[in-house]
Amino acid sequence: MERNLIESKLTEIFREVFNDSALVLQEDMTANDVENWDSLTHMMMIAKVEEAFGVKFRLKELNKLKRVGDIIAVLEEKLS
Amino acid sequence: MKYNFYNDVLTPILSSIERYGERNAFCIDEQMYSYNTFGEKISGILDAIAHIEYHNQKVGLVINDDIETYASIFALWLQGKCYVPLHPNWPLDRCLDICDQVELDLILDSSKETRYEKVPVVMTSTLDVVGVPLIARGDIEEEELAYILFTSGSTGKPKGVQLMRKNVAAFMDSFWQTGIAINEEDRCLQAFDLSFDVSVQSYLVALTRGACVYTIPHGQVKYVYASGLIEDHQITFGAMAPSMLRYLQPYFSELDATSLKACILTAEACPLNLMEDWYNCATNTEIYDFYGPTEATIYCTYYKLTRGGSNKSLNGIISIGKPMANVIGLILDEEGKEVPNGEKGELCVAGDQVTCGYWKNPEKNKSSFFFKEVNGEQVRFYHTGDLCYKDEDGDIMYSGRLDHQAKIQGFRVELGEIEYHAREYLKKNAVCIAFDNESALTEIAMFIESNEFNAEELLAYMRTKMPSYMIPTRLFFVPVFPLNSNDKTDKVKLKEMIH
Repeated sequence: MERNLIESKLTEIFREVFNDSALVLQEDMTANDVENWDSLTHMMMIAKVEEAFGVKFRLKELNKLKRVGDIIAVLEEKLS
Repeated sequence: MKYNFYNDVLTPILSSIERYGERNAFCIDEQMYSYNTFGEKISGILDAIAHIEYHNQKVGLVINDDIETYASIFALWLQGKCYVPLHPNWPLDRCLDICDQVELDLILDSSKETRYEKVPVVMTSTLDVVGVPLIARGDIEEEELAYILFTSGSTGKPKGVQLMRKNVAAFMDSFWQTGIAINEEDRCLQAFDLSFDVSVQSYLVALTRGACVYTIPHGQVKYVYASGLIEDHQITFGAMAPSMLRYLQPYFSELDATSLKACILTAEACPLNLMEDWYNCATNTEIYDFYGPTEATIYCTYYKLTRGGSNKSLNGIISIGKPMANVIGLILDEEGKEVPNGEKGELCVAGDQVTCGYWKNPEKNKSSFFFKEVNGEQVRFYHTGDLCYKDEDGDIMYSGRLDHQAKIQGFRVELGEIEYHAREYLKKNAVCIAFDNESALTEIAMFIESNEFNAEELLAYMRTKMPSYMIPTRLFFVPVFPLNSNDKTDKVKLKEMIH
């Protein structure tokens, strides 16, 4: 899947889960930068990403998904 | 007295610093800090506060996740002071309200830049290493405060629970009497915010025994980071909220938790089926279910589970067991009389772990505490607000809350506080209901009596007033609220709209 398609799908999910329709994804964005990004919303976000992209993350992978850029990179790899 | 703060808290920690200087005291954000370093940090802060003029025994502490913040707690305690946590991620308004309420005249802050302008601040991360010896003052009364924790209050103002040195000493004595043993070889998880009292257990149990504390940095997703710590650092002991394990449950088959020897579940009702799965994952662990409100110092009852055995539960929730050694726990009816075993009533607790009361809140103090005769003596009790019964063995079964509170990710939330802020902003009626989602995690739904509108401004406003875990995750617009037979908003009908 193309990177900009991944980004636009992911933006949609982030806006919905974190309740912020103006949210713009950035490579370096982490839970520190998004108001509602905690354990609960993280799990909701991961579930939505898995559903939308038809992928499954392993626990070890979750541990590396700290920045938005990490999520995009892992998705790119899984979907290539 | 059998126990006191000087002998049971301060002396053991000073002796850990002396005996285990080269060993690790903390692992924070993948960085190790030895007991020597920890001692030096405490010394530096002691020196800094010795040169400052302040009068309030209570000192604000910005609770970053770093060595300076932990060192500040002990510097204050050695000096007989009390810490009042101010969370860096809480809205500034909420923190300033706490500063005002307690009339703070000193704040210790390890941030790069401080958010506080009106209260004098000591920046603790830039202090020099000095040779001030670590000595605990021996002239401090046991009734002096050790910490004040502010929790959600239904009037829209956070309310402060005051814990005395005596309370903490009694807690530590109770804790060791459960038989959980920790030594300098242990690696202990500290998975709780310092604004939440299980953090006090998490650091004290480790540091009084020379063990190492592994923290979870702010901005990390807790359950994911904790799983990494458990595997990479072979954590041997830790207290966790059941919701943390609930998040991890889908990954249990991938998680190596064999290093865990003992594990405490606390802060929320603990589901039996989750624990059965957890036993299969953490194959060497003993599991304990601990219960307790902040008002009775961290925990006041506990139940030790049996692996492969039958564990007591009610509606799938594990028993909270029996009172700890320094706690009296009775099930009382509305008239304050003890009910027979098997009958439900309110769990009320007494003993040296019970708070001296809420900070400057005479009304709440009047309604929350009462005296009752026990064995010919007048004993002061706290109303926990929890509906429970005792079975024939005296084990307490937890049945739910009596009032309008919810536990969100382990944090106690007064739904009334959220409603208050929504109403203030909207000038419309709003009702909050906590519910368990598909993953059995608690979320907050807010119902607004209105036609639908864009709620972003409302949510943005609420975020300036409350921590993020208190912000509703689902919104419903209802033009007119349904009423029940008592002409009150029918919350049962509202709740049905959620699914």
